[in-house]
Amino acid sequence: MRSKRFEVLSKRPVNQDGYVKEWVEEGFIAMESPQDPKPSIRIENGRIVELDGKRREDFDLIDTFIANYAIRLERAEEVMAMDSRKIANMILTPTVPRSEIASLAKSMTPAKMVEVVSNFNVVEMMQCMQKMRARRTMANQAHVTNVNDNPVQIAADAAEGALRGFAEEETTVAVARYAPLNAISILVGSQAGRPGVLTQCSLEEATELELGMRGFTAYAETISVYGTEDVFTDGDDTPWSKAFLASAYASRGLKMRFTSGTGSEVQMGQAEGKSMLYLETRCLYITKGAGVQGIQNGSVSCIGIPAAVPSGIRAVLAENLIAAMLDLECASSNDQTFSHSDLRRTARTLMQFCPGTDFICSGYSSTPNYDNMFAGSNWDAEDYDDWTIIQRDLKVNGGLKPATEDAVVAVRNKAARALQGLFAELGLPAITDEEVEAATYANGSKDMPPRDKVADIKAAADLMNRGVTGIDFVKGLAKRGFNDLAQSVLNLLKQKIAGDYLQTSAIFDDKFNVISAINNPNDYAGVGTGYRLEGEDWEVIKNIPNAIDPRDI
Amino acid sequence: MSQDMEAMIRKILEDMQKGTPSPVSAVAQSSTTERVATVADYPIAKKHPEWIKVGNRSLDDITLDAVMSGQVSMDDMRISPEILKAQGQIAKAGGRDQIEYNFSRAAEMTKVGDKRLLEMYNALRPYRSSKQELLAMADELEKEYGAVICAEFVREAAENYEKRKKLKGDN
Repeated sequence: MRSKRFEVLSKRPVNQDGYVKEWVEEGFIAMESPQDPKPSIRIENGRIVELDGKRREDFDLIDTFIANYAIRLERAEEVMAMDSRKIANMILTPTVPRSEIASLAKSMTPAKMVEVVSNFNVVEMMQCMQKMRARRTMANQAHVTNVNDNPVQIAADAAEGALRGFAEEETTVAVARYAPLNAISILVGSQAGRPGVLTQCSLEEATELELGMRGFTAYAETISVYGTEDVFTDGDDTPWSKAFLASAYASRGLKMRFTSGTGSEVQMGQAEGKSMLYLETRCLYITKGAGVQGIQNGSVSCIGIPAAVPSGIRAVLAENLIAAMLDLECASSNDQTFSHSDLRRTARTLMQFCPGTDFICSGYSSTPNYDNMFAGSNWDAEDYDDWTIIQRDLKVNGGLKPATEDAVVAVRNKAARALQGLFAELGLPAITDEEVEAATYANGSKDMPPRDKVADIKAAADLMNRGVTGIDFVKGLAKRGFNDLAQSVLNLLKQKIAGDYLQTSAIFDDKFNVISAINNPNDYAGVGTGYRLEGEDWEVIKNIPNAIDPRDI
Repeated sequence: MSQDMEAMIRKILEDMQKGTPSPVSAVAQSSTTERVATVADYPIAKKHPEWIKVGNRSLDDITLDAVMSGQVSMDDMRISPEILKAQGQIAKAGGRDQIEYNFSRAAEMTKVGDKRLLEMYNALRPYRSSKQELLAMADELEKEYGAVICAEFVREAAENYEKRKKLKGDN
């Protein structure tokens, strides 16, 4: 006879998720694998000749790159000799300055870093993250996509997302050849919602750089690195090619970060029997060694893998923390859908939401889940009020603001009209008034009239062939009377000349003042220090539109 | 990073400062001052707009009116090697040495056209190039663009690709 209790439990969403036991030999273990290398370093004549138990002659490309670029030799022997638990306690202790921890971290090997962090439970990791996050003020990033690559909808959703507080917005494509139109749409839309929001379009590496060079995008993030040489090669790059690419971005004044995450090596079948966290730590050292300012990590699109094994969500927080300890900007994932359970997806996010990271989600879907072209997100537009109310409940800044219907409708409409004008100026297929109206009030692509996709794609290719650039967007917007948007797009282009936003964890406020780890460094040093949610920020977050004023009753 | 590497980068950066003639002259052309930027100079756009040159204009000259009257093109919207160098110094002053190295490569790459730069990146991907092709690319970087740091970086890649069988034909 079946237990009624178990019958009910078996139908719970959490039991539709997949779970597996650890399998050490295949790397199906989140962290603390008995097969992970033991920390060691040997330096001869100013050169690392042994790293984590491996001699230089046995190094693969990743070992060599890390040994040559990612570890400061100066304090290496001192730090490697320190007790890992003692270092862990220093990180946890508020009065040991962040700068001292960052200094120690510079001289650790990957295995030492993993050993230190493995001492922590998740509450300790959150406390450490609160202190180690690079930028003092936390932020959030949105995904802006839809199944039809509808440009008007992208513009409207980007505008709403910007109004709601996202500091960065990322689009990608359902159909690759739509890319230029998606990039234009998110750019125009974002500036209609809030000037200064940074936008990107996730594509194949070389194409993504080309769009950046032409002023279609302001930054890039989909530059993946991996923790084993075989997977790196399968990803069609090497640490040198990726570092070269990073410099190419900087040479055009474009912000960029790398992407990595636990589970990617297991997913690609070549984990060399190491734990997910150890391999991810190698990715973070490659990022550091390449001189890239930041990383998108936290398993990202491989979240199903660590989430399936014990301590997997703890490992995801650990990888975010290691990024912060290495003084990298951390866009901490909380993106791809991994669970049917609302409880589980919320618990996973609290790890980054409570302490705050540079970007808590990377990103949060600004559309219904069915429109998210990054295979769904852990959070979507239909969760906007849940997010803002959890912020209010916990008095935590999760990077979003409550918004009124009127304000949202207004910016969506402005974005759609501006894009309508710009499309006309650029000679792109017309955006009808009906589409503007639909985008203004839409929830998702099911609310949008269909477009002629063949014509759009043809026009997108033609646009690229004609050599259209960001300057043409400025002109087109101004000609149609959207001078404020023209000015914002121009301001974004001008940032590429100044280079201030190439620094770690850089974002802009609505006046294009840069906010980064250089001029807004995290100064957490215990109770009453660091970022506190108070003053104007708290007024904004606590005033949700649906709260009743008791005095009115 | 290894001390050899660091010493080499230091040397090149110092040479850039001094405006030493070839092979780094392409990068050093307009660096006349000896200043070393620090975090106090950040953000440059606000604290030192005079450091930023857009052709023979300043950043403030890049207005909407100037764009509308056709005085500004996308080619003008380019970061200079001097600003990249200054941002690198700021990053280093903030404790982030590797970022300075990245920006020093980037400063050199400002001389390389978009198309060629994309080709070079693709050539560095696994199994794309023979060792000779990579070494020729390094020579091109050094001789045609004065990109000494990038050239060394590509040579190092070539050595390691050979060891780890990532050259053309190895797959």
